Amino acid sequence: MKKSAILPAVLLLWFVSLSSAWAEPAKCFESRKGASEVTQRMIGENLPNVKCSPKTGAVLWWGDPFDGTMPMGDMPIQDADYTRGKALVKPRSDKIGLLPLCGNTCHTGTLPKGFPTNKDTRELVMMHQAIVLDSTKLPHGRGNIWCLDCHHSTQRNKLVDHRDKPISFDQPQQLCGKCHGEVYRDWREGIHGKRIGEWASTGTKRWFVCTECHNPHNVQHGDRNRGFAQHQPEKAPSLPKGMKTADHERHPHGTSDH
Amino acid sequence: MTNKEKICNSQHSAGGCACSGQAPVETPVDEPSSRRNFLKNAGSLSVSSLLGTAALMTMSDDANANMEWAEWFQGNYRLMSEEEKAMARARLERRYSREYGKTVTVDGTPPQEGVLMGYALNIKKCIGCRRCAKACVEENNQSRGKDQDIEWIRVLKMEKGEFSQEKMNQGYPEGLGIQVGGNAYSPAGVVLEGEHYYQPEAVPEKDSAYMPIACMQCEKPPCVKVCPVRTTYREADGPVVIDYNWCIGCRMCMSACPYWARRFNWSDPNLPKEAMNPVTHYLGNRPRMKGVVEKCTFCIQRTRKGRYPACVEVCPTGARKFGNLLDPNSEVSRIIARKNVFRLKAELNTFPKFFYFMD
Amino acid sequence: MDKLKRFAVDYVTYVVKGSPAFYAWIAFLCLFILCLLYGTYLHAADGLRYTGLTDQVHDGLYLANFVFLVGIAAGAVTIVFPAYVYHHKGLHAVAVLGEMLAISAVLMCILFIISHMGRPDRLWHMLPIIGIYNLPNSMLAWDTLVLIGYMLLNFIGGFYFLYRKYTGQPLNKKFYMPLIYISIVWALSIHTVTAFLLNTMPSRPMWHHSMMPIRFILTAFAAGPSLIILIFLIVRKRTRLWIENSAIDLLATIITYCLGLALFLSLSEIVTELYANTEHALGLQYLMFGMHGFTDLVPWFWGSLAASIAAFVILLIPAWRSNYRLLALACGLAFSGIWVEKGMGLLIPGFIPTPIGEFTQYLPTTLEIFVTLGNWAVGFLILTVLLKGAIGILLGDIAYAKSTQAKTTSDAAGVSATPELT
Repeated sequence: MKKSAILPAVLLLWFVSLSSAWAEPAKCFESRKGASEVTQRMIGENLPNVKCSPKTGAVLWWGDPFDGTMPMGDMPIQDADYTRGKALVKPRSDKIGLLPLCGNTCHTGTLPKGFPTNKDTRELVMMHQAIVLDSTKLPHGRGNIWCLDCHHSTQRNKLVDHRDKPISFDQPQQLCGKCHGEVYRDWREGIHGKRIGEWASTGTKRWFVCTECHNPHNVQHGDRNRGFAQHQPEKAPSLPKGMKTADHERHPHGTSDH
Repeated sequence: MTNKEKICNSQHSAGGCACSGQAPVETPVDEPSSRRNFLKNAGSLSVSSLLGTAALMTMSDDANANMEWAEWFQGNYRLMSEEEKAMARARLERRYSREYGKTVTVDGTPPQEGVLMGYALNIKKCIGCRRCAKACVEENNQSRGKDQDIEWIRVLKMEKGEFSQEKMNQGYPEGLGIQVGGNAYSPAGVVLEGEHYYQPEAVPEKDSAYMPIACMQCEKPPCVKVCPVRTTYREADGPVVIDYNWCIGCRMCMSACPYWARRFNWSDPNLPKEAMNPVTHYLGNRPRMKGVVEKCTFCIQRTRKGRYPACVEVCPTGARKFGNLLDPNSEVSRIIARKNVFRLKAELNTFPKFFYFMD
Repeated sequence: MDKLKRFAVDYVTYVVKGSPAFYAWIAFLCLFILCLLYGTYLHAADGLRYTGLTDQVHDGLYLANFVFLVGIAAGAVTIVFPAYVYHHKGLHAVAVLGEMLAISAVLMCILFIISHMGRPDRLWHMLPIIGIYNLPNSMLAWDTLVLIGYMLLNFIGGFYFLYRKYTGQPLNKKFYMPLIYISIVWALSIHTVTAFLLNTMPSRPMWHHSMMPIRFILTAFAAGPSLIILIFLIVRKRTRLWIENSAIDLLATIITYCLGLALFLSLSEIVTELYANTEHALGLQYLMFGMHGFTDLVPWFWGSLAASIAAFVILLIPAWRSNYRLLALACGLAFSGIWVEKGMGLLIPGFIPTPIGEFTQYLPTTLEIFVTLGNWAVGFLILTVLLKGAIGILLGDIAYAKSTQAKTTSDAAGVSATPELT
């Protein structure tokens, strides 16, 4: 082989090997699939931002728990345990793709002639069926609430509470807590819900807000167990040496054990 | 890489073990005195010809073979002076960095004042996804592979319980009529006889509850009491730890633990380089060696630096809570104050610091 | 010093010479010892991965044999106690053979512990000054102490006796008798501490009851003398040393009582556990009837029970007990029954189910079995050598008076050639 052919061959091999490193970076979800995805990347020497599960695509480990967060901001304090600046949330507004347009297109604040001006329940035809199939039967609250009870009627990039105060999509707890007060109190205490970061009560934490775990549009869906969707579990532990199956411990539901 | 290292690595990969008898002569960047080097070399030279068993144990082909002789003879970590501890950790950093090809740190942060680590788990919220068990493995450098898989957390699936009309007359007739009801032996609720290897398509399943179990970090640990060499002990801020270099592998602690929390390295651990977490603590997640016991340490490498353990962070339902039991404002203290908590096998007087609750 | 040197030289030269049958026996043992060496190499190089041990059942054949052999070592007291406290003539003459058995049994225990440990290269961590010795908390630390002490007691006592016999000098009672009395009490302690090793752990409900030390002592005093009787019968047949019938009969009586009581304790355990049949009885249920489809221990349990009952019945009937053929059978049955009961019947089911309810099974690998047999072979080799030497000295074949290079046959001085006590 001519010497002049060696260098291009080496370069080609190097590019080929690199291309495997340029494969699609892993994407995994933080809490629920489709709502909280992150892309894996390196944020330091030997420090990825997340480690993903190869089986289920869930995030298993955060390199930096505060990656992509911002301070939670104002929250009505009544024996709350956070100090401003120490409670962080991951903003969701930038992930809701159409949100900037919501106020500018279709819902500009000016209602077209003939449209109802009240907040009574009505059927939505050909609108947002992908989110809610039948607006008169919202699977949340058993007929007691519908879209405009949570979504602002004129500023569609905001949520709204019972006093018509607009609430940011990044702080849904200000709305959810109005009805789910006991859960909200537990969430403020850190008993309900998820936090990552520093464990000290005076530490910095990223608080997971309500909609990061719960999808308010279908909490009463048939296969939900206590309002939380079903997930694919991770792999079972390895069987002990010498055992081939775990059939000995499986028994049909409800039959006698011994 | 010094020449010595290059030679060591190449000989090592060829299966030779000439390097196992001598400590590498390179000077790590952070080692100031050459007297240490001299002593190390003198010590290693003087003992390098002894101990057949030790020689046998270095003849395996893996990177553990490049253990420095000083590591063989180090004492119990708790009894070392601060300087000896630092030397021990530096030795390990060198060895691990060589083995795994990354900069590995072996931290030695001591217990924090005024902290007693506690844990609370909401068994109403656990959906049995097992992400805690896998996150723990991502963080803590356990061995993995066939017959070598170690997971510190075990999630049990328990039946919700079903009592049926049909079984009413299916009791055991014992001489004088039915004495055992037909619905006996139907498991229900929190029983320690769950399934360990469940693998459904989706969790939580309708008829099941889930309960994860790992080391309870007891205040009166039965494992600590039975250890013949006192290698496992309770640190001042709460977790029960193991000095892996002192453990003799007798497995008494594994027998004594009522929660089946401890695991054993039956062979050289298989830890792939790319999966290795380089941020370690001497008493925590540093890579172990064959023949020693390991278990959950409440992620001591993270919690001593103020961060939640890996299992707490990954739990998708927020069922796991961690904090300082001595701080009334911590999440765990609030849970104990507000909710009803219980501990497993409380009648054994182990006083775990791992509480279960429902809300 | 010269006498000591001659003692050593004469002892060794006597022991290495023997009949073809003797050499065949040694060669047979060496086969297993080779397997042991290979197995130990594998354990040292690769850890315990080639055994059937798992995190669920993490103590297996090795620890089971350790527990059993501590009992055998303790069983030597059944010779020493009657011999010296009750001045039983028949046993007095051969008491030193019991001490030799104790030494080899304790040596086997140490070998099994080394096989069992994950890091035998770190055994020095247990030494008091250079390591840490966790007294008074750790039962394993106590066990090590009492075992080493027992071995030393028997070694010093036994070889002192043999040396004095060799040189023809009388024993120094003030030195020797305290050793004997201490070793009698110490023998009880070694198996009691081994029982405490297991029964002080409430995490293992099958073991966590106060009956364990009693049961251990009883089975030790049944299995130990069984082995001793078999050895005595072989010694009678193969050497010129005649062991009195009274010695064998007393040992048989001891076995009868202890085996009977041990069976009674087994019955008591079965009734107590299975009456209420709580979760704590799952281990026993698994052993006796199998659970969740795992029935591998069931034949072992019923087999050992049958063997022990058969042995007891044979021993109970005086006409059968005095028939030494049947006695040998009974001893073999008792020994193997108790061996199975310690290993498969006690140790393994203690781990099944695990404290959090997992049912598994334990299947020892071929390597494990060969290492076990190899350890036994080493023990039997040491036992053979020690017994041969002791018998030679008892017979007077090895004596300082005749310490020439050529081996001379002496008239059988008979059993009555015990050293005079001043």
